[in-house]
Amino acid sequence: MQYFAGIDIGSTSIKIALIDAEKNLKSSSVCPTGSLFHKNTLAAFEELLEQENMQREDISYIFSTGYGRKLFKEADESISEITANAIGAREVGVKAGKVKTIINIGGQDVKVISLDEDGHVKNFVMNDKCAAGTGRFLEMTARNLEVEVDELGTYHQRSTAVPLTINSTCTVFAESEIIGLLANDKGKSEIIAGIHYSIAKRVARLTRRCGTIDDVVLFDGGPALNSGLVTAIENELMRKVLVPEKPEITTAYGAALIALDTHLYCEDEVINA
Amino acid sequence: MENERNALRQKTTRIHLAMEAEETLRRLKAFPDPPEAMDYFYNMFQDRFSNDSILPKGKKIIGTMCVQVPDELIHAAGAVPFRLCSGAFSYDQIGAEFMPAKSCPVVRATCGMLQINDTLWGDKINAVVIPTTCDQKKKATELLGDLSYSVYSLEMPSSKESDAARFYWQESVKQFALDLQQMTGQKITKKRVQKAIAKKTQATELYRQLHELRKADPAPLFGKDMLLVSNAYFLDDIDSWMPAVKKMIEEVKQRKAQNFSAGNRHAPRILLTGSPPIFPNMKIPILIEESGGIIVADEVCSSSRLLYDSVSYDENSLNDMVSAIADRYLKPCTCPCLTPNTDRQRKLLEMAHEFAADGVIYQAFSGCLPYEMEQNQIAKILEKKGIPMLYVETDYSPEDHGQLSTRVEAFIESIKFRKRKKRI
Repeated sequence: MQYFAGIDIGSTSIKIALIDAEKNLKSSSVCPTGSLFHKNTLAAFEELLEQENMQREDISYIFSTGYGRKLFKEADESISEITANAIGAREVGVKAGKVKTIINIGGQDVKVISLDEDGHVKNFVMNDKCAAGTGRFLEMTARNLEVEVDELGTYHQRSTAVPLTINSTCTVFAESEIIGLLANDKGKSEIIAGIHYSIAKRVARLTRRCGTIDDVVLFDGGPALNSGLVTAIENELMRKVLVPEKPEITTAYGAALIALDTHLYCEDEVINA
Repeated sequence: MENERNALRQKTTRIHLAMEAEETLRRLKAFPDPPEAMDYFYNMFQDRFSNDSILPKGKKIIGTMCVQVPDELIHAAGAVPFRLCSGAFSYDQIGAEFMPAKSCPVVRATCGMLQINDTLWGDKINAVVIPTTCDQKKKATELLGDLSYSVYSLEMPSSKESDAARFYWQESVKQFALDLQQMTGQKITKKRVQKAIAKKTQATELYRQLHELRKADPAPLFGKDMLLVSNAYFLDDIDSWMPAVKKMIEEVKQRKAQNFSAGNRHAPRILLTGSPPIFPNMKIPILIEESGGIIVADEVCSSSRLLYDSVSYDENSLNDMVSAIADRYLKPCTCPCLTPNTDRQRKLLEMAHEFAADGVIYQAFSGCLPYEMEQNQIAKILEKKGIPMLYVETDYSPEDHGQLSTRVEAFIESIKFRKRKKRI
């Protein structure tokens, strides 16, 4: 059996997806990037192989993607996270129809990608230089409110009052707003809901800038696990969004699909030549 | 005290400038197999940016901003034209000290350069000519006047469609010719104009030859090198520039004959348009080609718009020749300061077709509203023709490198995937 790997080395975490020649996800893992990301990536990859009882030779082709893609020399090739995300999202959303818009929130950026009928990247927009409204921002918020990041969704759903207004998605300014609200005895749930809305508004603006929103809108990246943020984005976009089962690994999965495609394509080339 | 501080600032800025130039040259030269004839251009920039002054010595200098200033007349008046538009982030930072944060980096860097170098060159720049193109260049006229430069505002219409606009521009250029004589003390005669036109025509013919060679598939020359060649025209003596370009043409011709491919054989062919890449800010062109694309043509005022067109006149009279010169600088002009500017759309479609471009990359400097606003129209007409376009807003700061490289790479990849599907 031949397997293919996609390794997404992001600013916050490393995601690995292993697929077989039928595009089925065989296994996946997520671990923190840390400072020694090359070492950590290798370790995570080896651990995954071991867990699956595989040898390095069982993996026919590896594509790396994400911010650290070029520095991971063990990969056969690398591809930008936009292309990888587009291909992965199209495939995981295939049952829902044609994914035409992808909203991806990562550790330090927000991307909106629009795809054409055939799944090619038509347009994409990203946040500018700073990490406002990204995964980092959510982490900071959780720390300020003394809750865990994965509790943010539950807190949001618990809120009964109107979400509080947070004007800034800038981590530094939002922090002082949050501290101000806490000092005024405001509830954590309402603050968290407010934060989710402030991110969602920004995402909606970015999405409209990217082009017309139709067919399936898919939301992925780690923060898509946060049900509160999903609700806020759905309300701001005024439509349902599709969140894949494992939203963090869509891009790694896409890179694995490209590895598969490239491998088959290269074989074609050899045969035709 | 003030003088001492200024001297220190100049010193630091010069170090910054040399570092910037060095870094850009390093990246430009990191590509495999550069034509040998490029050495002239690499060395020229290295030299100009690490020495104190980048001005040609021994002749009267007329500094120009924008491509609409007729070179021919300056040559005919016995002076050397020197395109001042700067691409240096070091100068941009100086400009930012007295100009709005949202102004365009070209204007800010140019004004910054002239501000900090005032005491260094002082009387060496005899005059600065600024056509009334965009609002920022217009206002720069006043700013530079305050810095005690002798500034000439060359009045230009905001349209090129009507007869009135053309007549107005011709009169404006005629007046400029008269005033130039005052600035340089040299009378502009029929013979001198004729000679100047002939020389510039030679230069444009050379440019066009090199430009045409890029139609070849695979492309024999990187766009980053082509842009450096046209950039050199800003600051080089035309008599040294021409033989260097001739050598380039010879070498590229040979390469084409050998079916040489500068990039990958199936590298996506890119047409670059928008705000001008000016050395050392070659950020976007370098990124495009580092990402595996190849720029086969450009529609920017630091390259094709600067050198593609030549003057054509029927009668040998001074009046006719000056009018013909004026026409050359207005009729083919596709600067977005003109309204309407449908000619730019036509030209882009034509170029995309002629150079078999797979995609267009549109660079707009943040703060340049005309380019930012025209983006929409251009995107629409290209979409109709099925030509993908990437719009990037950037400036001279190196900070957005990571973001930009992801965007540019993704765009190049999307073209590759499309091409790949076609081949199967």
